[in-house]
Amino acid sequence: MEAQRAASAEHEKGWDFEALAMPFVDALYNTAYRMTRNAEDAEDLVQETYLKAYRYYDKFEPGTNFKAWLFKIMKNTFINNYRKQQQAPPQSDFAEIEESFESVVSKDATGQIKSPEAEFLENVLDEDVQRALDDLPPDYRIVVLLADLEGFSYKEIAEILEVPVGTVMSRLYRGRRLLEAAMLRYAREYGYLRSGDQPTKMRSRVSEDGKPATPASDTEFSEPAQG
Amino acid sequence: MDCKHVSQVFYLFFDNELAEEEKESFEVHLTHCPACAQHVLLARKVLLTLRKRCNRQIAPHSLRVRILTSLPHRQG
Repeated sequence: MEAQRAASAEHEKGWDFEALAMPFVDALYNTAYRMTRNAEDAEDLVQETYLKAYRYYDKFEPGTNFKAWLFKIMKNTFINNYRKQQQAPPQSDFAEIEESFESVVSKDATGQIKSPEAEFLENVLDEDVQRALDDLPPDYRIVVLLADLEGFSYKEIAEILEVPVGTVMSRLYRGRRLLEAAMLRYAREYGYLRSGDQPTKMRSRVSEDGKPATPASDTEFSEPAQG
Repeated sequence: MDCKHVSQVFYLFFDNELAEEEKESFEVHLTHCPACAQHVLLARKVLLTLRKRCNRQIAPHSLRVRILTSLPHRQG
């Protein structure tokens, strides 16, 4: 009798969980795929995320954001399983950030603004967009994925990643600037843009010291970074 | 709002994370500063391109089956 009641409660929890969680398989899988960069690891990551989410389902507070909760579990699983194996993130071309930032605010002598960059984007290939995204260092890639592809707010991303909102903002800033620099680089490779455009100086917060900042020093946006 | 401030907060503007009172001063600056307007336009287009052109990966059916069959209440 007692066992039967327990089994039935377990059953109810299971159906409840399914109804709530299964609609997010695609969102989790897309992010997992972009972070692991292969289908097999992405499937394992999502599968493990669901098993953990089920196990901790009692800890979920009803009324809070379930999607964000699932993403947080996946983030922790990803860090445990995959990040350890990875090498340090590649040193990205932070000099390029400044270059692209400057090039877009360039004016000629008459004050006319040149605007070749915005137009080239019409020509950029889907593969180039994916490549630019895949090439971002993981800490930047994840915030761009969460903000631009999943539509999470800064506060939600901060909760998922367990970092201060200021860190989210500064990583998002850098990640998007790197993405823009990569897209402009592809445009130059294809000849949509000339490489000799002479930019005027405009200060960029990203590379004021000329060096890439480590995530631990993401302090530009007023809030201290904890991690 | 000056050019430097604009260069720091334009993503917040796109993301609808800028405080109401700042939004207006941001917009006013752009109408008077073609250089910033240009810069912000490009940054905006990059994000729109990313959102539009980045093909989303769809979870294979086999993954859904695998998840469902692994959940304890489905077993036995």
